[in-house]
This record gives sequence, structure tokens and C-alpha cells, in this order.
Amino acid sequence: MSWTIVVGVKQVPDADEVGIDPDTGRLDRASAPAVMNGPDREALEAAFRIRDQAGGEVIAMSMGPPNATSVLEEAVAMGCDDAVLVSDRAFGGSDTWPTSLTLARTAEALDADVVVCGEETTDSSTGQVPPGIAAHNDWAQLTYAEAVDARPDENRLVARRDVEGGHEVVAADLPVVVAAAYGEFEPRPAPLHRKIYGENDFEPTVWDAEDLEIKDEVGLEVSPTSVGGMETVDPVERKGEVVDDVDDLAESIEEVVA
Amino acid sequence: MSDEGEGEGDGEEHENGVVDVDEYEDVWVFIEEHDGEVMSVSWELLAEARTLADELGDDLVALAIGEGLDDVAEQALERGADRVLVADDPVFEPYRADPYGEQFRAIVEERKPSIVLIGGTHTGRDFAGRVAVPAHAGLTADVTELGVDEDGLLEARRPAFGGNVLATILCEEHRPQMATIRPGVFEAADPDGEADGEIVEVDVVVEDDDCVSEVLEREVGDTADITEADRIVAVGHGIDGDLEPARQLADALDAEIAASRAAVDEGWVDGARQVGQTGKTVRPELYVAVGISGAVQHLEGMNKSETVVAINNDPNAPIFEHADYGIVADLFDACPDLAEELEGVTEPQEVVQ
Ligand SMILES: Cc1cc2nc3c(=O)[nH]c(=O)nc-3n(C[C@H](O)[C@H](O)[C@H](O)COP(=O)(O)OP(=O)(O)OC[C@H]3O[C@@H](n4cnc5c(N)ncnc54)[C@H](O)[C@@H]3O)c2cc1C
Ligand SMILES: Cc1cc2nc3c(=O)[nH]c(=O)nc-3n(C[C@H](O)[C@H](O)[C@H](O)COP(=O)(O)OP(=O)(O)OC[C@H]3O[C@@H](n4cnc5c(N)ncnc54)[C@H](O)[C@@H]3O)c2cc1C
Repeated sequence: MSWTIVVGVKQVPDADEVGIDPDTGRLDRASAPAVMNGPDREALEAAFRIRDQAGGEVIAMSMGPPNATSVLEEAVAMGCDDAVLVSDRAFGGSDTWPTSLTLARTAEALDADVVVCGEETTDSSTGQVPPGIAAHNDWAQLTYAEAVDARPDENRLVARRDVEGGHEVVAADLPVVVAAAYGEFEPRPAPLHRKIYGENDFEPTVWDAEDLEIKDEVGLEVSPTSVGGMETVDPVERKGEVVDDVDDLAESIEEVVA
Repeated sequence: MSDEGEGEGDGEEHENGVVDVDEYEDVWVFIEEHDGEVMSVSWELLAEARTLADELGDDLVALAIGEGLDDVAEQALERGADRVLVADDPVFEPYRADPYGEQFRAIVEERKPSIVLIGGTHTGRDFAGRVAVPAHAGLTADVTELGVDEDGLLEARRPAFGGNVLATILCEEHRPQMATIRPGVFEAADPDGEADGEIVEVDVVVEDDDCVSEVLEREVGDTADITEADRIVAVGHGIDGDLEPARQLADALDAEIAASRAAVDEGWVDGARQVGQTGKTVRPELYVAVGISGAVQHLEGMNKSETVVAINNDPNAPIFEHADYGIVADLFDACPDLAEELEGVTEPQEVVQ
């Protein structure tokens, strides 16, 4: 018994580098370096834990432009067995509906038993892609998973879920989509041989929309939502008074609450 | 994104999930309840949706899924719903994504609402996609502002890129226009005591045998509602597992304890008290950030506070730029000292549980 565990890895602009263009006052994300979405490192760790328990392979998948290869190389360097880049100009303008369709078809093509995703991305942060993958394939899902427990003999995956104001332990039939709760899966150090292989020799398999037979089901045309406009948000004005001793601070607070 | 959409909206030939939008009407709000206990975001949405429905000349419809929902349905009517749809069956208790999603989808496809609002809780964000995907509906995530344009189209605004931008998301040719809304951004209205709308029992379309998941255990923890608190002492990673100094300060100020995600992830404070992008939006008159660095994702949840105070031992911590008053000090000294000075300055506030 061994499982195929597929991990969704997205390339995003480096959150710390996304700034406001001083000339136009607009968000400047083009010049920010592209990196792996932080929460996806934890998704990889969750996948490795499942592999430790159930045996099998971890395969990273990314839907993105050709240069998203770099996040897949990184995923392999972190310990994935293989990786697939799904790339096609036809994907342009996709909202979460076709994005999750594309990833759902990729997972199916890879014969996934488990798909692991991050909780959400640091760019558009919808968190809708993991349930979207599950919905397109009519699979089970376990979101906000804080711990995973593979049960190959039952053909189920059990997760402890954070349900806000409590926890629950849920068992799901395979195939299942897991979204790993951010902050709960500290990535393990990369094994050196994988690191060298991932960074130097590895090339991902590349699939396009034709390969997945979804040419007419992706892109702007099938996306129900569109971005009507983006405004940069001005920071809330604050006084910014820093005092030296507690007495002064107490005085300011007293004025507020009295 | 370019605007080369072709809009194949006419006649029967609807492609790509495009529908005749005129066939869809009414504003729906999902009433999230667990064990009969309604999440406050549902009442916040009901109040906001009343305004939207009035603007559009639509009915306001509440939808509840669970077991033993008579009370919940009654409350929804008292809080302004024109109609309540209930799917009442043991299969829905406790919550699971697959039966909820499937039931919700069936009701949506049968009754064709124009707008569907769902609280952006873990539960709401868990199943919303299981409705939107098969219905081919537009689903906007984490909305903080809602409006309608001159054509009656929903304008859902949401923060992106860690809160640096506010994007307006539209859903022009698909229905329903669905959105999950952050808890705490809208204010709930008081029930007016009148419940003259109707309660409609819908057909339950799911059975336990079809479910692909099973809840093995469920423990209810801290369910405090920090969104209503007047004063908040929020702790961050800087407290290093020791809540005592912050508690002393909170007692002196009669404040609720809240936390950054880092403190929640460490298990020091329960998730119900998390402030920020993936937590709650709060609006107290006083917000004291103790040992919190001031990451964008945290600021997003505290920006509506009237006055912000920061206690941090790093003079370069970003939180100072987002605070009205700050002190560069070790929190283990500053909190007890401050607590002592402030003892008894406030009238006790109601404890929200
Ligand atoms: C400002 C802005 C706002 C937007 N708002 C909406 C909206 O409200 N609704 C909507 O439908 N669309 C929206 N979109 C479009 C949306 O960003 C894209 O569909 C996006 O590709 C996927 O969403 P996400 O980044 O939010 O993923 P999330 O759902 O936040 O991602 C969760 C996890 O899914 C996996 N994953 C996500 N994308 C990929 C990928 N490309 N490859 C591999 N794994 C992946 C990762 O594991 C990730 O951690 C918006 C776009 C912009 C620019
Ligand atoms: C997708 C996503 C969603 C997120 N959502 C949220 C969210 O909803 N809410 C949220 O808060 N974060 C969120 N985060 C995490 C966020 O980016 C930060 O990591 C987090 O807010 C940091 O928490 P912190 O300020 O408590 O910890 P740190 O950044 O570690 O800061 C600790 C601070 O304590 C100070 N300190 C240390 N010791 C002392 C002392 N003895 N006395 C005084 N000060 C001291 C330090 O100087 C430092 O400034 C999210 C991140 C991602 C990627």
C-alpha cells in the first residue's frame, strides 16, 4: 500500500517586497521577486508526514508561467519525489473556478490519493482553491488541518481541524484534499542530496491545457469573477507618540478610557 | 486582466456557465449555527444584507442548515429576514463540508438567488466552494465592503496582497454572486421582536451513506466574541508563553484578551481570539498590542480600533508606526507597572462570551 500525495505549490510575489510605486501610487508587484507561497512550504511538510506514515510519493504541482519552474525545483530540493508544471497562455485571467479545475484535473491525471495545499496564498489569499479542487472532483476535503494521521488500512486520512473556538478530528475517505493550517507544519531541513538534485539537475514535467483536455474550460471566459479595480489602501493615521516612561503612557490611556 | 469577454448571454445557448441573470433574485444570508448557537457574523450579515435587499427591491432570505432549527429560524425572522429556508436533519450535525455543500448547492440551484452571503469563518470558507464550483457561481473571498452599482450588480471589495490593496470583485454573467465576509466588519442590528416572515422547510437531499467524511471527535473550546469588546489587550509572540502580565493589564482596563496569529499558533491563546487577516476584525476604543511586531496581516484586523497603544522592546518594531502611543520597554516590566497605575480607571464592561 502506498499513496500518491500531490502538493499544490504557487509562485507569488515576495510579500516583503511588494511595495507602492512612489510615482504612480499604485501597487508594484511586477518588480517583486517571485517566490514560493510561504504556506505551501508547510503543505509540503504535511505531505512528507503523510508519506512517512503511509509510504508512497510526493509530487508537487504548480499552475503558472514557465518561470514557476523555480518553485518546483525548490519543492524537489525540499524533498518531493517529482513535480509537474501546468502552464498555458489559455490560463490567463483565471479566477479560482478554473484554477481549481486545472489543479483538480492535474491531481486526477497523477492518480492522487491525497492533495495537500496551503491554507491560503500571500497574494490573492482566497483560500478557495483547496475546497475548489475537492468540489470539482467530488472528493472529500479537510481544511484548517493542524495534524494529519494517515490510515492506509482504512483507506482514510484523519486530520485534527481548527474550527474556531474548538477542534475536531475528522476522518475522510480517499481521495481527499487537505489544506494545512498555516503555522502548524514547521518544514524539516532539506536532505542534502535532494537539495543538490533539485537545484542543479531536476526538470519538471510540463503539461498544457490540451494535455489535460480542458482547453475550453479555463481562462477568463469561464471565470465567474473579475477584478473591477484595485485601490491602494492608505495606512490608518496614527499619532505615533513614543513615550519613555510608564506614567506618561498611563496618562494617555486614562484620557482614552475615562 | 483584459476585458475581451464575449458575453454569450442570449437565448438558450449559454456557454461557460453564463446564465440569464434576470432569472435570479433575492439576497440570501447563511445563518451559521453549531449546536443551536449562532455565529455573530451571521447577524452582522443579515443587518448589512437588509440594506442591500432594500436597495435592490429584493427579499431578504435567511438560510439555515442543521438539526433542530426552530429557534434559529425564529431569531432570523426577528432580525429582519422576510423568509427563512431551513434544511433540518441529523445528517447536518455536527457540521461537515460534503453534506452542507451538497444541500446548499441543491437549494441554490432550485431557487436561484441573486446574491448569497456567507460568514468568512472556517466553516463558511470550508463549504462555500462546494456550492460555487458545481453552481458555476462567482465566489469572492474575505469581503470587507459591499455595495451595488447602478445596474444592481454586487460590488464586493476585499483586501489583497496582505492588505496593501482593496480590490473590487464583480460577477457579471454568472449567478449567484456569492461572497464570504470577514467576521466583525459589519455591525449586527438588534432584533425588533416582530417575526412576521415565513419559515420554509426545504427537502433534504443528502443521506449519511453518501457522505465521504466522518467527525470522530469534537471539542468546543473558547468561543469568546472579541469583535464586540470595547477594550482589548492583544498579546503576541513576545509574551513567550506567559500571559500573566497581559492579564494583569487586561484586568486593570477591564479588557478582553486577544492575540496575534503567532501567539495562537503557539497554543497560548485560543483561535477565537485571533485578530487579523485570518482572524477577526475588531473595533474597540482601546487596543493595546503587547509584544506584537505589527505584520500587515495583523494590522488589517486592528485598523478599526480608535486608539492603539504598543508595548514592545524593539524600537524599530513596525507596530510603533501604527500606534497612537507606544513605549519601548520589556513587557514583563511595563505591563504590571501600567496595570498598577491604571487600576480602577474604567467602569466594568459586559463580558461577551
Ligand atoms: C486582487 C485579486 C483578488 C482576487 N479575488 C478573487 C476572488 O475573490 N475570487 C476568485 O474566485 N478569484 C479571485 N482572484 C483570482 C485568484 O487570485 C486566482 O484564481 C488565483 O490563481 C488562485 O487563488 P489564490 O491565490 O487565492 O489561492 P488560495 O486558494 O489562497 O490558495 C490555497 C492553496 O492552493 C494551492 N494553489 C493555489 N493556486 C495554485 C496554483 N496556481 N498552483 C498550485 N497550487 C495552487 C496552494 O497550495 C495554496 O496554498 C483574485 C485575484 C486578484 C489579483
Ligand atoms: C496567509 C497569512 C495569514 C496571516 N494571518 C494573520 C492574522 O490573521 N493575524 C496575525 O496576527 N498574523 C497573521 N499572519 C502572520 C503574520 O505575518 C505575522 O507572522 C504575525 O502577526 C507575527 O506575530 P507577532 O507579532 O506576535 O510575532 P513576532 O513578529 O515574532 O513579534 C514579536 C514581537 O515581540 C517583541 N518582543 C519580544 N520580546 C519582548 C519583550 N520581552 N518585551 C516587549 N516586546 C517583546 C519583539 O520585538 C517583536 O516585535 C498571517 C500570515 C500569513 C502568511
